[in-house]
Amino acid sequence: MRIRNVVQLHTVNKLQAFGWPLVFMILSLALVLIVGSLIVNVAAADEPGARESMRQGMLWNGAIFALLGPLIGFGFTAMGQYFPLALGLGLTRREFAAGTALVFAGNAAFYAVIIAIGKAIEVATGGFGIGIRFFDVVYTGTGAWWQTLIQTFLLILTVMLVGAAITTAFHRWGQSFLWVFWIALAAVVLAFVAAILLSEPFQDLAGAAAAMDWGWWMLVLAALGAVGATVWLALVRRAQAR
Amino acid sequence: MTAIVTRQLAKHYPEVRALDGVSIALEEHRIHGLLGRNGAGKTTLMQLLTGQVFATSGSMQVLGASPVENAEVLAQTCFIQESQKYPDTFRAIDVLRIAAGAYPHWDQAFADQLIDEFRLPVKRAIKKLSRGQLSAIGIVIGLASRAPITFFDEPYLGLDAVARRMFYDRLLADFSEHPRTVVLSTHHIDEVANLLEHVVILDQGRVLLDADTDELHHAAIEVSGRAADVDAFLTGREVLDRTALGALATATLTARDGDERAAREAGLDVSPVSLQALFVHLTRASAAAAAATASVSATDVANH
Repeated sequence: MRIRNVVQLHTVNKLQAFGWPLVFMILSLALVLIVGSLIVNVAAADEPGARESMRQGMLWNGAIFALLGPLIGFGFTAMGQYFPLALGLGLTRREFAAGTALVFAGNAAFYAVIIAIGKAIEVATGGFGIGIRFFDVVYTGTGAWWQTLIQTFLLILTVMLVGAAITTAFHRWGQSFLWVFWIALAAVVLAFVAAILLSEPFQDLAGAAAAMDWGWWMLVLAALGAVGATVWLALVRRAQAR
Repeated sequence: MTAIVTRQLAKHYPEVRALDGVSIALEEHRIHGLLGRNGAGKTTLMQLLTGQVFATSGSMQVLGASPVENAEVLAQTCFIQESQKYPDTFRAIDVLRIAAGAYPHWDQAFADQLIDEFRLPVKRAIKKLSRGQLSAIGIVIGLASRAPITFFDEPYLGLDAVARRMFYDRLLADFSEHPRTVVLSTHHIDEVANLLEHVVILDQGRVLLDADTDELHHAAIEVSGRAADVDAFLTGREVLDRTALGALATATLTARDGDERAAREAGLDVSPVSLQALFVHLTRASAAAAAATASVSATDVANH
């Protein structure tokens, strides 16, 4: 199996594969640091609880998506742009799927480690000395560093696999798939919102789900990733050049 | 040895039969021409032979085995297609590095030489390259890969005449040193006529002609002279094309033994027909025959 060639296909442009996501992350972190400094030292310099309020509010700070965003897109581009070139270079679908899955896992592990290290530093320094949150947020996990490592790894891997599955389905069925997909998704969201608003038993169920332990949530995330992987692998075996 | 064999190979899409019952056998270590008008099925045939798309029916063997998901076979084939898509963020050098790892017979020194000769800016983003420069990437890969079976599908789109000449020269020189099977699809038929040893012409997904070029040199002749003499000579012969200008006429016909001598004896001028002219005449005749069949079918339907 020429898995090495597939890995090379995804990583040959080092700046694109590793450089830009880290540059975006650093720029985003710098921006959050500047905003945090301004809040703490200028806007709310006289308010005693300002730093703690900011720290609490930043639990939902989405600036980390400057790093996660491009990685989410990686699953889409893997099938949309790299698959046609892989076939063009005589690689088999099986080789492409195996190599790409390895790259997905490698990417997820690499950036999960970066985020876990960032979080450890952030927590140890009290939010880089000014109480901001960048790595220690709900999306990457607010528990121990190893929980962030696992959660971020699973999150990135799952989103990449699901993204690859969606792109492969689009590759096969074209625009009609996207219509069906978005309509189905909208129907599910509408049904969920309606059930939350109108059904008390469902409210209880949703409340119980929200209160699930972190471990159960990770299982849900892993299950989603497994479904994405299964669909993606099934589709990629019959995918054709366009 | 036969490098490629197909038997009743077909690829049907909902709206079109891209390939319909194609049976060919291509000998190894030769340069084969795969000719046809746009939409004739050339690219589809090459995509099938390189496992990029799946056949609707029929069978195919490349180097003695099915190419579908066959890493052993596909590692021995290189398919350069004009419509090849590259990732937006890639530079030419990125593609060449991957190709160098993917093809076991890759010759880096030869690749470097070709990059210089075709003036390929390898560090420029691919999306900023011209059509001709994109073609140059394919040519470098196709030649430097030294794959035992190399498919070139319109490899020089956008290249100027000098660069095209350079491609033919390099292909022929390298082919002489490293014999391999080359399948070349092109619309510049006259430019490659001297390279080709065997030709397959596809038309509307079917094989219209499958012959060695040696045979084709004598397959058709062009006669010209007074229209009455030309028409008299054409009686009972298979005419591919006829044009008249005033009292003079020119006709292309399928040549049988003795036709050339008979034409001269009839006072006509005789000239050979180029591969490109033969291609044009054959595909026109095929289109006319198809139109006539369709017209007869329509009349039959109307009568019933």
